Amino acid sequence: MQAQLLWRTLPSLVLGLLFLSMPAMGSCSDKYPELLGQLQKQADFMQHTNTLLDLYIRSQGLDKNGLKEHCRERPGAFPSKDALQRLSRRVFLRTLDTTLGQVLLRLAALEQDIPKAQDLEMLSGVKLNIRGFKNNIHCMAQLLPGSSETTEPTPTSPGASPSPTPTLDTFQRRLEGCRFLHGYHRFMRSVGQVFREWGKSLSRSRRHSPHQGLLKGARRMQLSGRNKRLMPRVQLAPGSHRGAPGG
Amino acid sequence: MLTLKIWIVQALFIFFTTESVGELLDPCGYIKPESPIVQLGSNFTAVCVLKEKCMDYFHVNANYIFWKTNHVTIPKEQYTIINKTASSVTFTDISLLNIQLTCNIRTFGQIDQNVYGIRIISGLPPEKPTNLSCIVNEGKKMMCQWDPGRETYLETNFTLKSEWATEKFADCKTKRDTPTSCTVDYSPVYFVNIEVWVEAENALGKVTSDHINFDPVDKVKPSPPHNLSVSNSEELSSILKLTWINSSIQGFIGLKYNIQYRTRDASTWSQIPPEDTASTRYSFTVQDLKPFTEYVFRIRCMKEDGKGFWSDWSEEASGITYEDRPSKAPSFWYKIEPSHTHGYRSVQLIWKTLPPFEANGKILDYEVTLTRWKSRLQNYTVNDTKWTVNITNDRYIATLTARNLVGKSNAAVLTIPAYDFQGNLAESKCYLITVTPVYADGPGSTESIKAYLKQAPPSKGPTVRTKKVGKNEAVLEWDQLPVDVQNGFIRNYTIFYRTIIGNETAVNVDSSHTEYTLSSLTSDTLYMVRMAAYTDEGGKDGPEFTFTTPKFAQGEIEAIVVPVCLAFLLTTLLGVLFCFNKRDLIKKHIWPNVPDPSKSHIAQWSPHTPPRHNFNSKDQMYSDGNFTDVSVVEIEAANDKKPFPEDLKSLDLFKKEKISTEGHSSGIGGSSCMSSSRPSISSSDENESAQNTSGTVQYSTVVHSGYRHQVPSVQVFSRSESTQPLLDSEERPEDLQLVDNIDSSVGNLPRQQYFKQNCSQHETSPDISHFERSKQVSSVNEEDFVRLKQQISDISQPYGSGQMKMFQEISVADAFGPRTEGQVERFETVGMEAAIDEGMPKSYLPQTVRRGGYMPQ
Repeated sequence: MQAQLLWRTLPSLVLGLLFLSMPAMGSCSDKYPELLGQLQKQADFMQHTNTLLDLYIRSQGLDKNGLKEHCRERPGAFPSKDALQRLSRRVFLRTLDTTLGQVLLRLAALEQDIPKAQDLEMLSGVKLNIRGFKNNIHCMAQLLPGSSETTEPTPTSPGASPSPTPTLDTFQRRLEGCRFLHGYHRFMRSVGQVFREWGKSLSRSRRHSPHQGLLKGARRMQLSGRNKRLMPRVQLAPGSHRGAPGG
Repeated sequence: MLTLKIWIVQALFIFFTTESVGELLDPCGYIKPESPIVQLGSNFTAVCVLKEKCMDYFHVNANYIFWKTNHVTIPKEQYTIINKTASSVTFTDISLLNIQLTCNIRTFGQIDQNVYGIRIISGLPPEKPTNLSCIVNEGKKMMCQWDPGRETYLETNFTLKSEWATEKFADCKTKRDTPTSCTVDYSPVYFVNIEVWVEAENALGKVTSDHINFDPVDKVKPSPPHNLSVSNSEELSSILKLTWINSSIQGFIGLKYNIQYRTRDASTWSQIPPEDTASTRYSFTVQDLKPFTEYVFRIRCMKEDGKGFWSDWSEEASGITYEDRPSKAPSFWYKIEPSHTHGYRSVQLIWKTLPPFEANGKILDYEVTLTRWKSRLQNYTVNDTKWTVNITNDRYIATLTARNLVGKSNAAVLTIPAYDFQGNLAESKCYLITVTPVYADGPGSTESIKAYLKQAPPSKGPTVRTKKVGKNEAVLEWDQLPVDVQNGFIRNYTIFYRTIIGNETAVNVDSSHTEYTLSSLTSDTLYMVRMAAYTDEGGKDGPEFTFTTPKFAQGEIEAIVVPVCLAFLLTTLLGVLFCFNKRDLIKKHIWPNVPDPSKSHIAQWSPHTPPRHNFNSKDQMYSDGNFTDVSVVEIEAANDKKPFPEDLKSLDLFKKEKISTEGHSSGIGGSSCMSSSRPSISSSDENESAQNTSGTVQYSTVVHSGYRHQVPSVQVFSRSESTQPLLDSEERPEDLQLVDNIDSSVGNLPRQQYFKQNCSQHETSPDISHFERSKQVSSVNEEDFVRLKQQISDISQPYGSGQMKMFQEISVADAFGPRTEGQVERFETVGMEAAIDEGMPKSYLPQTVRRGGYMPQ
């Protein structure tokens, strides 16, 4: 029995150690409520369109002649709020990390269309913020119980492709970028709501027992992990987090 | 032209000379190390190696080498000849920062020639940077600073390093002019913890500071609130409302504030209590300000939770509180000038403007009223600070109020006396004379004095009374005389007091007092006291007052009675304790231990019958504390019915009675020999008595008894635990039969004789019969008895079982243990009838007599 348990836990342990050792840099906060609060505040901040979309619309001249009307999120570009809420915590974090990675790639592509240096500087700030958010996701993933579990699938977001098809003309490309950023802000709003729910369950579990909330999350994660054989394996690539910060 | 030629020639000469000298100056040797950097205080060794060519040329070797530092020859003791070509020099504890070291040789015995020279640089390795702290000025990039430690005397580079858990940031290199701080080149990312540390490095080493990990939002120094504005309120003259615009950082964090204010001409700032401004806000109303006063405000903010730094102070803003009605009336006075018109005079009223803190606004005008005796009020509005009016020679009352936008001040009142005022003063009347000096710029301070035209003795003396009367002292008090009866200045009081028979004593008391304590009084004495008040012209006695001093001082009686009572109680307690401790001795001397036949009983033992103390069911049944004396009641009943609770109650009642009656019967010799004849009752006292009488003779009687309607298969043995010596008659079957007869026929003569015979053996007064003494000691009266009987009949009637009847019999018999003969007869007869009716076999009938008996279980 014990040997069986060992065989079950050993691969997870090894994978967990690998996962933890990959970003061998600054240490993460080990305070779950503090980290959750940081994630919440980041999501709340990043959902505001004045942090990115407004800048893009203005720089691309889409704020005239009612063009804004056409800047609506393309359905399926980002996971919906319901879809996010259905995910276990671990899968949610992984989804978030992946999606934000794709947003970063897309922003790099959009950067080429932004002529003003001042706007570029702002865009760099946005990208840095997203990288900071991904950093916190990484830290939160370490704090979740059973952080070594890496076998759960990450739902793919078909619409969040790095760049639009090259056949689009400039206007269509701009409009597509606008729609993408619109979806990004909506996605961040949904993410903030999910984190708020995490906070509520934390405060509920605090009233009952200190780690109940975490355990509950872990249970959800394990439950969803039962379907792992049915789904393709997708793993976080912490190496993609590395990179020089933008000015 | 000539100059140019000369210059060119010189330049060519220098060029060629330099070329040739380059060869000529090829050094004869070299020093290792070439450019050393040495730690201060350490040792250093340099080696000079001569070249072979040079050695041959100058005919020298390493022995010819000598060292110089800063042109001073080093003593040869520091040299070491390594080999023919090399010589070293060693320095211990280097203290100079910059040393020029040269290797020299002496050629041809007298010419010193420099072979090679180096420069030794000394310094210290960097210390670990401490006190690393960072600040994020809002809108700017993060700047960190630290304490670099000691001076190294060397070029030391500081590098600020920072990273996230997933990302490393570019190093921040310090600038030469700011080696202890560095501003990173990336924008701070709030809500992401960053790790920061400093590396210090120079030629002698590299050290790293402690790492600090923080969220940049906790290091923010916000921009100060801007657009601070101040507005007043028409409703409230004591408030000003501040409004401002917060910096954009409030989108990320909550803010708290410091608000300071001062009046325009003040230099020190007052601060709003921080707890009132501890959360993000955009306005604040400052209260408790002075009306119509200009205040200057400034504000700063920081992160709500106190992490981070205060912003700089905002730009100052000022505002004026709204007006309030003048808080004080202007003081005014008058000047009277003769008038040309007969019967009139010219009066000029003059006043000063109110100071701002009293005017509470801009004074618009003044309102003057003049009132002549019993005439109408006349109002005048004046814009100036003086006003002249012609009035009659009558007495006038003038009032003055100042008015501003909000309202009027209170009125100042001034009396303008009549022109012909002569001062018709009366004697022995107190007058208050007030003098107000009038200067050019207004009235001075007013002085008043009381005065009499002529004094007289008071028309009435003070009335004295006692405030507190003690055994030897009395506190007297009185009221000051009204001004109307004083007739002058009261200079002093005199208190006269005396007893009925004693002389009068007088005590002088200052006029300022209204209380005096008479001391050294005699207790329990009647005193008469009166008091006189004196002016300069004489005195007047007041009414006489009597009081009696108490016999005892307060608490004196308690002080005597309480200790006496305590002593008495203590003595009684000690006596009781002594008696209790020596009760055996007392009992031995007064009540010798005489066996009490009444305590004897028939113990029961059977091999198949549980021991008596094992009758737990009965013990439980009668668990009431009142049944401690009766632990076992053997009842033979026709069926197995358990007694009802009501039955137990009646039994309890009887038990109580038994206790009382037994108490009476426990006299010398135990007068209740009869009680032992009741075969169906056993008492828990029996066990105790059996133990207490250990050593005495145990009586055994073997009786036949059934258990619960069963015919005993074996013989049942009962035993008397009486300490009475064994009587021969008891062992005789005929005597036992006689006892049996007693049960069924009380009053039987032989039985009486039998018991008399038994009891008389231990009686101290053998001539007094048992029954006679029983009558004497029994306290049960007839009424109690009848009442109990009635209760029993009430209880037993509804049930009507034989068992119940048996209970009654037992209870009554038990309760009236030492009873009169008649009573015993009546109740026992009833009991026997019940037993017969139920067809129960009689228990405890003596069957066999065995000598020695059995010890009770």
